[in-house]
Formats: sequence, structure tokens, C-alpha cells
Amino acid sequence: MSAFLSPFEAMLDKLFLPARVRAIDAGGDWSPERVEIEQSGFLDALAPDMALPFAEVAALWRAIGRRAAPLAIGKAMIGRSGRDPDTAQPVLLAAAISGAADRVLDMTTAYAGERSQFGKPIGRQQAVQQQLALMAEEVVAIRMAVQLAADCDWPTAERAALAKAVAAMHAPHVASTAHAVHGAIGISAEHDLQLYTRRLHAWRLEEGGETAWSIALGRALLASDENALDWIRNVLF
Amino acid sequence: MRGIAIEAAVSQTGPRVFDTLTLAAIPPEDEALRAQVRALAREAVAGMALDRRARSWMGFDPAFSRRLGAAGLLGLTLPTEYGGGGRGPFARFVVVEELLAAGAPVGAHWIADRQSAPLILNYGTEVQRRAYIPRICRGEALFCIGMSEPGAGSDLAAVRTRAERTGDGWRLNGQKLWTTGAHHVDYMIALVRTSGGPEDRHAGLSQLIVPLKAPGVSVRPIRDLAGDAHFNEVFFEDVDLAADALIGEEGQGWAQVTAELAFERSGPERIYSSHVVLEAWIAHLRAVGRTDDRAAALVGGFAARLAALRAMSIACTARLAAGESPVVEASLVKDLGTAFEQELPLAIADDLAAHPDESADTELVAALRYLTLVAPSFSLRGGTREILRGIIARGMGLR
Ligand SMILES: Cc1cc2nc3c(=O)[nH]c(=O)nc-3n(C[C@H](O)[C@H](O)[C@H](O)COP(=O)(O)OP(=O)(O)OC[C@H]3O[C@@H](n4cnc5c(N)ncnc54)[C@H](O)[C@@H]3O)c2cc1C
Repeated sequence: MSAFLSPFEAMLDKLFLPARVRAIDAGGDWSPERVEIEQSGFLDALAPDMALPFAEVAALWRAIGRRAAPLAIGKAMIGRSGRDPDTAQPVLLAAAISGAADRVLDMTTAYAGERSQFGKPIGRQQAVQQQLALMAEEVVAIRMAVQLAADCDWPTAERAALAKAVAAMHAPHVASTAHAVHGAIGISAEHDLQLYTRRLHAWRLEEGGETAWSIALGRALLASDENALDWIRNVLF
Repeated sequence: MRGIAIEAAVSQTGPRVFDTLTLAAIPPEDEALRAQVRALAREAVAGMALDRRARSWMGFDPAFSRRLGAAGLLGLTLPTEYGGGGRGPFARFVVVEELLAAGAPVGAHWIADRQSAPLILNYGTEVQRRAYIPRICRGEALFCIGMSEPGAGSDLAAVRTRAERTGDGWRLNGQKLWTTGAHHVDYMIALVRTSGGPEDRHAGLSQLIVPLKAPGVSVRPIRDLAGDAHFNEVFFEDVDLAADALIGEEGQGWAQVTAELAFERSGPERIYSSHVVLEAWIAHLRAVGRTDDRAAALVGGFAARLAALRAMSIACTARLAAGESPVVEASLVKDLGTAFEQELPLAIADDLAAHPDESADTELVAALRYLTLVAPSFSLRGGTREILRGIIARGMGLR
């Protein structure tokens, strides 16, 4: 794991507690946080004179999603790279989805252990366990797609499409399972769950959802003359 | 790094679920096997109809298995001193991926290579290792899995087949069911009760190697809904076995079978069962020039899912390569992978049905019809969807 991830996470944990996230969501000003992030140097993570490996930066973006922190932080990193933003931006969105999905899975698993009905935690009910297991599969699939897409110097159009297609196709189901397991409390504005599920839906659609990115990927595959497995191995791995 | 204040801060993230599955790469020396396997696979499927190729690891061709053995492509994970390749799970991944993608008939050696040989290596005596593993690596000793019985499916600990100690060995009585390949192969590794009763559950179970030609063994093929006969009923009536039929420790059968299932569930076969129709359909779309948004969205969606699954499967292979038994991770990949394999034939058939004017190749149509019928078995064999999700839930601390 990168040496930069934990200080970055620590900074986000300090700056973007759920109360601050709510205030920013309500249109609040976050220039104090902006200044602190600027001073940290992280906004230059992709800048030519620093240029962390892309995979490490994608891990920072996952950390942003996990805390529902402003995506503008990641966008600023891309902006300062001097490189093609069009293929990095979908990976940023996918990474943010991945982080938020991780968080939502953790919250939902924890809640299933705490909430009791019929004299035992709801997480002891097989119907709930089966939903959570599927949710875990989807969360891992998103994470792997992001790691795969980011395992490069700079993402190609195909890698970007892969990451965003997989993240977008699973995001709504991760969100809906989380809400199903949380029951009514998850629908309340007061509960933090909505901070993350709201973003899962928004980030899914920003710059195109699963269909838009699947079309991009499918067009590229159909235009080649390789078989699907070779194309996937050569272009995406 | 300039300007970044590295604080010794405690991040409030907590442990992350399934962080053990992380991106891994196939080492170049293992990747280098691909061309050789591909050539052999191509040769084996030349002239084979697509619906035969769709049988993939249900296809049985011992001569092909021996050719793979002679080429050094079986037993890749096993030590060279027993005739193995002395390589590892990544080498096996490459070989298996190529064989499955081609729809090569790999059923004959499949189980021996995947799980019986590693089981014998891990739990067998030196004599047993030398007796079986070299022959498995040559494709000359073929195995089947004797777990399920009429009363023991998901509830595997309910097996009733019993082995009693005799003066110089074991006497076996009972019945196995759904045993793939038992009508063709040489040996079964059977999970049986050697002490106690069903109420003892995981205690008192052991694994025995049963030569299927032994007196008292009878095998009856069962026809499946597509007309094939790949699985069987196997009856044991006073089958006398030598003392060294016992593999591993008496009473340790449950722990051994759990480790065996991790091998069974963690391979790439859980994402490629319908692969030949995906390739044939993409070739069809290119041939008829149908590259509109709808077709591209379907193709791209499948490609994205397959890429993510392949990355997950390689990550799981990395756990095997690290010497772990990735029970939970394998369940996770298998469950998501089989859902994908099951969806492919349905979605592709639906796409073609929406374009009747294209008159798709009859081989593709036949392969789709076959896969549509057997696809439900993908999430039964090797443990059902519900059982796998239960294993995942346990891994998440829910049970
Ligand atoms: C093609 C094929 C090949 C096979 N080859 C072999 C082989 O070579 N060797 C071998 O030993 N076996 C083999 N099997 C058998 C396979 O392992 C079993 O089918 C499987 O373990 C399920 O058992 P069952 O069919 O008895 O179903 P059951 O266990 O009766 O299950 C029926 C349904 O009930 C559900 N269920 C059962 N228990 C629970 C529970 N606790 N919680 C929630 N749901 C539950 C199941 O998930 C399933 O949906 C094969 C099966 C197939 C289809």
C-alpha cells in the first residue's frame, strides 16, 4: 500500500466528518478545507514534477468516495496533470463509487449485526445474509475493475470505459440493498447512509452511466478483429 | 514527497471487507505457456460442432488429456519429483483459461488435475503420492468426486456411505450420486463415514480412494435434460479396499474436503462455461455488420463484466499461489461468475431472436439451446448459490 494513502485518509477524516459533508451538501462554503488540502500538496499528486503512480492516485480517489468528500479534490489532481482528463475522469468517478460502495457495505454489515428483530440480530436471518453476500460480491467487482483500469501510467479510453461501466452497473444495486437492510432508518435524512447512496446514484450517471460506457467498450471490441478474450487480455490487462 | 505532511494519524476506516482480493498479475513465465496450449486446444476442437465445444469440462477425451500430459500441461501445480510441472496456480490458470475458451474436451483429467492430485499431495503418504500423482500428470489416472449422495447434497455432512475396518483394510457400503465421470474414470475419492452416525456431523468422516473397477462397485449413468450422460449413481456393496485406501487421517475427512472444495471452486472454470457462445455471437455481429448502440452496449457490458471477473479470478489464484486456502474468496468469485455464465446464453439468444432476418448459424443456435438448458447447473455443481452466499456471510462475520 502506498505511503501516501494513510496521511491522505487522515486528512479527509479530519476535514470531512459527516456533519461537514452535510453542510457542504447544503451549499456551504468549504474554502477552509480547500486551503488545507492545497497546503497538504496532495492536489499535485498527478502533476508532472510529482506524478505518483496512477494506481496510487486511484486509491486516494477511493478514499474520497469512502468519506463522501468533494470530488473536486480528485478533479483538481487531474486538472494539474497536464494530461488527457477525458480518460482519467471516468476512473475518478468509478473509484469514488468504489469507495462509497465499500463504506455502504461496511455500514450495512455493521447495522445487520446491531439491529435486532424477532429476538436476534437481523444479520442472523438467512434472507439478509444472502443479500449482503451478493452486495459484497458487487463491491469487490467494482474495486477490481477500478484497480485493473488504474494499473497503468494513464488510462486508455477502454480502461476508463471498463471502470465506469462496471462501477455504474453495480452502484444502484449496492445502494438499494443497503437501504433494504437498513429499513426505515436509512430513509431518514438524519442517518448517514443517504450521504453515500445519494452519491452512488449521482456518480453513476455523471459523464454517462453503464449503458453509455458499455457502448464505448463494445464499439471498440466490435471494431477489432481479435476474439473477445484476447482483446480483453491485450487491451484491458 | 514535496509538501505532503505525513502524519502518524489513525485513520477511521476500520478493516475493509475482502481486502485479500486485490489486483494480481500472471507472471510472464506462466503467460508464456499460452501459445502452446492454444495450439493443442485448437487441434482438439477442429471440426467439433459449437454445441459440443459448449460442453467444455463435461467433454470427455482421454487421448486429448494424455496429449496434454505428454506436453507437460497437466499437474502444473505439483512438484517435479512426482512428475508435476513444479510451477504453480498461475501456470494452471493460463492453461485452464485457454482450454475453456476454446471449448476443448477436458473432462477426463479435469477433476484429477484440479483437486484430486493436490489433495493426495497435501494429505497422502509418500507411497500414495508416488502411486497416483505421476500418472495423473501423464493423464493416465482419472478421478471423480464422491461427495454427494441421495440424502446428502448441500448438507454434505449427512453422508451415509460407510467404511468399516476389516483385518487388513476397509469394507465399503453405500451409494454416491451425481458423480461426474464415474462411468469413465479409474478412481473416486469418496467422503465416507468411518465412525459414529449422521448425528455426529463433521466428526467421524474420512476420505478413501476407491478404484472403480473393484468388485462390488456398480456405476449407472444418469441422463441429463439435454440428453447427455455425464453424471452417475455409484453403488458400493461390500467393496473390499486395502488399508492404504484411506487418504489423510481417519476422522479428518471434513477438514480435508473443505480444503478440496477451495480448489474446486477457485478456478477460472467458473467464468468461462458459456464462453464459446460469446465468441461466436461476437463473430456473428461482426459478420452481419451489426454494431449499433444496442449491440455494442450488450457486448461492452459482457466484456466489462468478464474483465472484472477475470481480475477477481486471478486475484483468487494469487491467494492459492501464496499457499492459502481461499474458501471465502473462491465462493465470491464463483457466485458472481456463475451468474454471468448463466446470463450469457439467455441474453444472446434473446438478441438473436430480435433479429430473425440475420439467420444465425445453426451451430450457434444449437449451442445456445444446449447452454440454456444446462445453465442452471452452473450454480449447483460445486456448491449451490445459497450455500456459497452462506460461506461469504460467514466470512463477513454474520454467522
Ligand atoms: C452437473 C452436475 C455435476 C455434479 N457433479 C458432482 C460430482 O461429480 N460429485 C459430487 O459429489 N456431486 C456432484 N454434483 C452434485 C452437487 O454437488 C449437488 O447438486 C449440490 O451440492 C446440491 O445438492 P442437491 O442437488 O442435493 O440440492 P439440495 O441440497 O437438495 O438443494 C436444493 C435447493 O435447496 C437449497 N438449500 C439447501 N440447503 C440450504 C440451506 N442450508 N440454506 C439455503 N438453501 C439451501 C439449495 O441451495 C438449492 O437451491 C453435481 C451436480 C450437478 C448439477
